[in-house]
Amino acid sequence: MPSSFFKPTLRYLVSLIVVAVFVFPIAWFGLTSIKPISAVFNKDRVVVFDFKPTLENYHVTVLGGEKASMVGGQSASMGTSGKGAYDGRGSILSSVIIAVASTFLATAIALLAAYALSRMRFWGAQGYLNWVLSQRFLPPIAIIIPLVFIFHDLGLRDTHFGIIIAHTLINIPIALLLLKSFFDDVPVEIDQAAMIDGATRFQCFYMVVLPMIRGGIAATAVLCFIFSWTEFILSLFLTNTIRTIPVKITTFVTSTGSEWGYISALGTAAIIPGFIFILLVQNHLVRGLTMGAIKD
Amino acid sequence: MASVKISKLEKQYGLLKVLHSLDLEIADGKFVVLLGPSGCGKSTLLRMIAGLEKITSGDVFFDDVRVNDVHSKDRNIAMVFQNYALYAHMTVRKNMAFSMRLKNIDKKIQDEKVAWASSILGLDDYLDRLPKELSGGQRQRVAMGRAIVRDPDVFLFDEPLSNLDAKLRVQMRTEIKDLHQRLKTTTVYVTHDQIEAMTMADEVVIMQDGRIIQSGSPMEIYDNPNSLFVAQFIGSPGMNIIECDVAEKAGVKSANHESLCLPLPSDAKVEVGQKIFYGIRPEHLTANKEPSAESNSSLTIEPGVVRVVEPTGPETHVYSKLAGQDVCSISRERITWSPGEAIHLQPDLQHVHLFDGQTQVAL
Repeated sequence: MPSSFFKPTLRYLVSLIVVAVFVFPIAWFGLTSIKPISAVFNKDRVVVFDFKPTLENYHVTVLGGEKASMVGGQSASMGTSGKGAYDGRGSILSSVIIAVASTFLATAIALLAAYALSRMRFWGAQGYLNWVLSQRFLPPIAIIIPLVFIFHDLGLRDTHFGIIIAHTLINIPIALLLLKSFFDDVPVEIDQAAMIDGATRFQCFYMVVLPMIRGGIAATAVLCFIFSWTEFILSLFLTNTIRTIPVKITTFVTSTGSEWGYISALGTAAIIPGFIFILLVQNHLVRGLTMGAIKD
Repeated sequence: MASVKISKLEKQYGLLKVLHSLDLEIADGKFVVLLGPSGCGKSTLLRMIAGLEKITSGDVFFDDVRVNDVHSKDRNIAMVFQNYALYAHMTVRKNMAFSMRLKNIDKKIQDEKVAWASSILGLDDYLDRLPKELSGGQRQRVAMGRAIVRDPDVFLFDEPLSNLDAKLRVQMRTEIKDLHQRLKTTTVYVTHDQIEAMTMADEVVIMQDGRIIQSGSPMEIYDNPNSLFVAQFIGSPGMNIIECDVAEKAGVKSANHESLCLPLPSDAKVEVGQKIFYGIRPEHLTANKEPSAESNSSLTIEPGVVRVVEPTGPETHVYSKLAGQDVCSISRERITWSPGEAIHLQPDLQHVHLFDGQTQVAL
């Protein structure tokens, strides 16, 4: 067999296997979300598609509908799963508010800091950068207890604003480092040309340099959004009634059993906003916007 | 337009002094080229005039107004950078109009100015393109267009042509000179290319190790270099330099290098035993196949051996070995030389340059 046929085929096969490994859990998750409870707990054989698909799980978790069928009629009497316990609408709203706000805040703050660190020489700049980076070394669980007390004393516990601040603080270091590297890619002569053209430092920042790193800003925002959207520990400890989606889903594991159908329905639904956000910014996710500004 | 005056200007980075007490006056409307090898401080000087570098000590004046503490944006200067520094997200039109937009100048006047600049620079068809859609030469023109719409007091160029290919460089050289002749704006131009300096400048300022070594019109510097450094830096092919000892034989002084005995001008201020550098430009060496009969000196120079012949068209460069030294001569006559052939060289004594062996200063 000629290698020109064999090699591409092999490459295609291997990439197909890799993609399958990654997609399988998500697909299974999605599949579980449309299975009736009998199919989820089929012990005899793994059910792939010989069941009657149902949207009931979505109806309950995403639309807040009534729970139609009880597992063996036991659920209502067993404490935790009272009426509306599986309604995920509030958590979806909370997650959206928190993720969007913290992404916006972290990106905005990091932009200003990154520009200064990239363009201005001041005492302690390098040390400051290392310190900021070191904030990311610490796992959030290590500071969770003092954080709970501080948030409690400040009245920030169980508020959207509190979680937004927490996520913003966690996101700033990584956003700062990323954005600084994008700023560093823009030659400093561009700033100088703008200043000679009569721009103030701030005009040169937002009229000239900022538009040139649009792609970088989009990439940074995506990372911040995904972090906030999937963050669990901080949201778990700092809230009681406001529940983000990851925290909400854990409450579906009850003393009477795990509601796999609801877990997978809300989980699948939770992928969608992140997906939409990335679709919106993906056009900006290309490098090379600075092309043509300078002689490469 | 403005004159520029620099007085006792110094620049220091930590302990490293890069500019040593520079004094320079640039008259209104002049085209001055700062010329020197890499690291001589010429760009730093330009950037201090632009206000992009802090001044350690000394003053910069525009028309007798001290501008040390005036921000770049308020100096009314325009600068063209080596790497163009265009605003990549803006079209050519917006790049050029940016400075006027910042000043809130009437949109109609903006359009007129851009149209004027683009017609001068031949950019009419490219106004709505992005920089990435232009060639290197066109980008450089946009950078210049951005500068001229400003109607600045002083034009600053930081090695603007060094990223262009050879042919384009020659073309842009002419365009920049033509532009200056039309606009008559005071211009400071930094380059390490002595041809650019010679061809474009009203005045050349030669710098070395943070000091101004010599300044003057291109031909003045070419004809009367005040040091060995300037002599070697200016001219292409470069001046022939031979290290010699001054000796005297029968009352006539000569410059000797090993077996080579070179004639000295009669008015040369040298003493017997002094170490000197003997400099002669290639075009002031006459090359002959036979020893010249009407030699204007009592000395005849031993013949050299032709190594390489480079015909350029109008003239022929002949590189030969003379007593172990590489020597270049230029002749406009079409004599055919072949490698290995004997060549008799005769210096034109009126154009001999002598430099002290120690201080390397012209004698």
